Amino acid sequence: MADHAAAVSTTQPVPATAPGGATERFQYDDGISRAFLLMTLIWGAVAMLVGVIAAIELALPEANLGIPFITFGRLRPLHTNAAIFAFAGNAIFVAVYYSTQRLCKARMYSDWLSWFHFWGWQVIIVCAALTLPSGITQSKEYAELEWPIDVLIAVVWVAFGINVIATMIKRRERHMYVALWFYIATIVTVAVLHIFNNLVIPAGLFKSYSIYAGAQDAFMQWWYGHNAVAFFLTTPFLGLMYYFLPKAAERPIFSYRLSIVHFWSLVFIYIWAGPHHLHYTAVPAWASTLGMLFSVMLWMPSWGGMINGLLTLRGAWHKVAADPILKFFVVGITFYGMATFEGPLLSVKSVNALSHYTDWTIAHVHAGALGWNGFMTFGMLYWLMPRLFQAPLWSPKLMNTHFWVGTIGILLYIVPIYVAGLTQGLMWRAIDEDGQLAYNFVESVTRLIPMYWVRIIGGTLFLLGLIMCFVNMLMTWAKRPAKYDSPVHEAPPVGSGYAEQPAQSRLGTAVVDVAHKLDIWSQAVWHRRWERLPIRFTVMVTLAVVIASLFEIVPTFVIKSNIPTIATVTPYTPLELAGRDIYVAEGCYNCHSQMIRPILSETIRYGEYSKPGEFVYDHPFQWGSRRIGPDLAREGNSNPMGSWHLKHFENPKQITQGSIMPPYPWLLYDPLDFESLPSRLRAMQQLGVPYTEDEVEACIASAQMQAREVAKRIIEESAGTDPRLGSKDVPLEDTKVVALIAYIQRLGVDIYKTPEEPGESVTLREGR
Amino acid sequence: MSTRPDVLTDHEYDGIQEYDNPTPGWWHWIFWGTVVFSACYFVFFHMSPESWTVEESYELAVARNLEQQFSEIGDLTPDEATIVRFMDDEKWLKVGKSTFAAECVTCHGADASGLVGPNLTDEHFKNVKTITDIASVVMNGAANGAMPAQKNRMHPNKIVLVSSYVASLRGQNLPGPRGAEGEVIPPWPAATETESSATDTPNEQQP
Repeated sequence: MADHAAAVSTTQPVPATAPGGATERFQYDDGISRAFLLMTLIWGAVAMLVGVIAAIELALPEANLGIPFITFGRLRPLHTNAAIFAFAGNAIFVAVYYSTQRLCKARMYSDWLSWFHFWGWQVIIVCAALTLPSGITQSKEYAELEWPIDVLIAVVWVAFGINVIATMIKRRERHMYVALWFYIATIVTVAVLHIFNNLVIPAGLFKSYSIYAGAQDAFMQWWYGHNAVAFFLTTPFLGLMYYFLPKAAERPIFSYRLSIVHFWSLVFIYIWAGPHHLHYTAVPAWASTLGMLFSVMLWMPSWGGMINGLLTLRGAWHKVAADPILKFFVVGITFYGMATFEGPLLSVKSVNALSHYTDWTIAHVHAGALGWNGFMTFGMLYWLMPRLFQAPLWSPKLMNTHFWVGTIGILLYIVPIYVAGLTQGLMWRAIDEDGQLAYNFVESVTRLIPMYWVRIIGGTLFLLGLIMCFVNMLMTWAKRPAKYDSPVHEAPPVGSGYAEQPAQSRLGTAVVDVAHKLDIWSQAVWHRRWERLPIRFTVMVTLAVVIASLFEIVPTFVIKSNIPTIATVTPYTPLELAGRDIYVAEGCYNCHSQMIRPILSETIRYGEYSKPGEFVYDHPFQWGSRRIGPDLAREGNSNPMGSWHLKHFENPKQITQGSIMPPYPWLLYDPLDFESLPSRLRAMQQLGVPYTEDEVEACIASAQMQAREVAKRIIEESAGTDPRLGSKDVPLEDTKVVALIAYIQRLGVDIYKTPEEPGESVTLREGR
Repeated sequence: MSTRPDVLTDHEYDGIQEYDNPTPGWWHWIFWGTVVFSACYFVFFHMSPESWTVEESYELAVARNLEQQFSEIGDLTPDEATIVRFMDDEKWLKVGKSTFAAECVTCHGADASGLVGPNLTDEHFKNVKTITDIASVVMNGAANGAMPAQKNRMHPNKIVLVSSYVASLRGQNLPGPRGAEGEVIPPWPAATETESSATDTPNEQQP
């Protein structure tokens, strides 16, 4: 196996084959890695800055300065998308382009595809940065980008995938190393997840509706959402670890066989775990149970990566003390271990009953994102800088300072937010000795504000660390040679004459035949064969992921009893639909859930728990995942007065002292877009929402009529005058707020209506 | 860690080597342990008649909660005597108060001096002539649903207790943002039952 590539340094073009024809010559493309490295740090700074601003807005809602574009509901998706797809995404591409070429002893298959991928990805990020603050969103978490951008993502991702897999096919290394397995899993699964979660019917260039509704949409979204964590933030970073950690530590990987076991168990088990985001919600109980159990079983497959990482450092711990790069890796892998223990813990239903909707989840993801993704990225970047820029790192001291500032930043972020999450969860469920709720919702909000301030300090420190990295990068780059040296490597092509060494049983004669077979199997010669066959390997990974997915997805869609229908639940009126689109555009789901769980403290606070049949016209679902503000699933029953909502949107603090909801004054004056209603109803019609032809044709008039009624009632409730302050150029009945109020007044009321015809009746219980 | 020396495989990729170490034993034990646990869990919760559903345990919690709340007083009817009686009952008026805090403050304000709904602390009333009208307004709503009907959503005892609490607010005359609305009505009837706890416990003081 010792066919080392000989490196010859030259700047002259070289012939493809060496004299004699036994070996081939090639040069690696490091320019693409340099480009992605630069963008990792630029977008990382943007993502973290946006995160800090969003964090400030939670402690100080006025910090949005009244600007719609940077209000929390629009900024939070920008933060998550930038952190995942721009910062972590570009970091993944640095790792893949740098390591795949070297592990395959081959230049990338196509430079054109590499650069198409690079520029395509940056265009996608710029589009995200423009559309999300403008309220152009699909409202599905981490899949907010609208359909034209989704199409672009699919094209660019496929180009990336073809380029990497084609490079593997023309490799000059006979076997594929474990890092490449993880890259294959990433490429295949992200493509599948992205395409199937983003299936929509467009209603214009900037608006679309998910083809799934309610419980099914929730199921697809969290199948996607959970596996975005799995296959965008875990598998590529494990691949990264498997290349850069042994390189930096100069130690062999602890166990090849562990690599096999944990790779396949991780890929197969991870994909099932999504429904643990939907415990106690209106998805079928069996799905929720599968989500929990596969998460529990995922614990050891996840830890396999941690073990292989940390034990690779055996005999090299003295280096860790001296080398900040290894320190970044060790802390990163440790956070991976903690987060992947906490994940199964949070997926246990009774733990989730406490943690769901709280900041506990936020602390959990930031332990993973800042600790694992952030620190693995920084370790890799510092290792690469001198190699890619061909100059010594400008300041190892600054790198060490970055490590400590970043570590303290992570701790100051996560510790107060863990405390905040537990505080929230315990206050929400507290019931006093008289059987009553112990706290108002707003008390649970004001209690968290000090912790939010500490989080801001932690996040700012982490951002400061990234800026140190950026400075170090720029100063190292400044000392680069006039022309980068591009060594020519030489290696023989992978011929066909490979003789496989058959495995021998290592056991004595005193055991049964089965034991011998098992021993031979455990030596993994069969897997060694797969490692020589990139296409077969890709097919196997695809099968593992797709079959596991279908086990859950097919029953969710075909078993009718999963979603019992409710006769009194009817489609939204055109005005309510317009209001719902505003709810989506403003990102209300980022702070408000619409899903009351069958938990006592929750039904006392919010009303009867949510039923699957209530959401059959919800394209897309709006269940949310957090309660920065209270649940709104029964808001139509709780606060029925339009004038109350109007005052509340104008400035929530007028109504609730201590509220951290930002004012939405623009909704009170922005004119509502009635003209696009027919195209929206048509899209809904295509999705099977039973609007009649007449309803679609008359939708503008009927929406205007309902708007006049809502506006009239608001004015009546306000002693006959328009309650809005300031200029009133736009009549109340033409404003966005009227549509939004109509939508909110509709929330959760349908199941209390009397059925017009004999149908399934709904029994009402004491829910308050 | 075992004392067995690490043996390298013959693998080498860009200088990276791999040991042929086995997967640690505890890894296998815990992994197969979670698999067995999962199988048992699924069988128990989805196939065994001994188990219970989320909805069942929720119904049980609701029943226990109602018992905790109302076991002493039984089922109340929203008549004059009952509403007046609980105005003087410190313990049960607290339930009325917390119901008010949960359901009513968004429109009537935290101190009941009015917000988008009318002031409840003065002598003026819009839809109330007698004390039992308070309970009717709570049950059936008023002002075309601006004040929502609660009879399908609120426990009957809570309707009585929140009515008692609202009645007890009268006379504080807190300045509200809306000014006086409706008419001045006669004072509430006095408590009829002499065994009421009114003598030994003072009326609920306002926060």
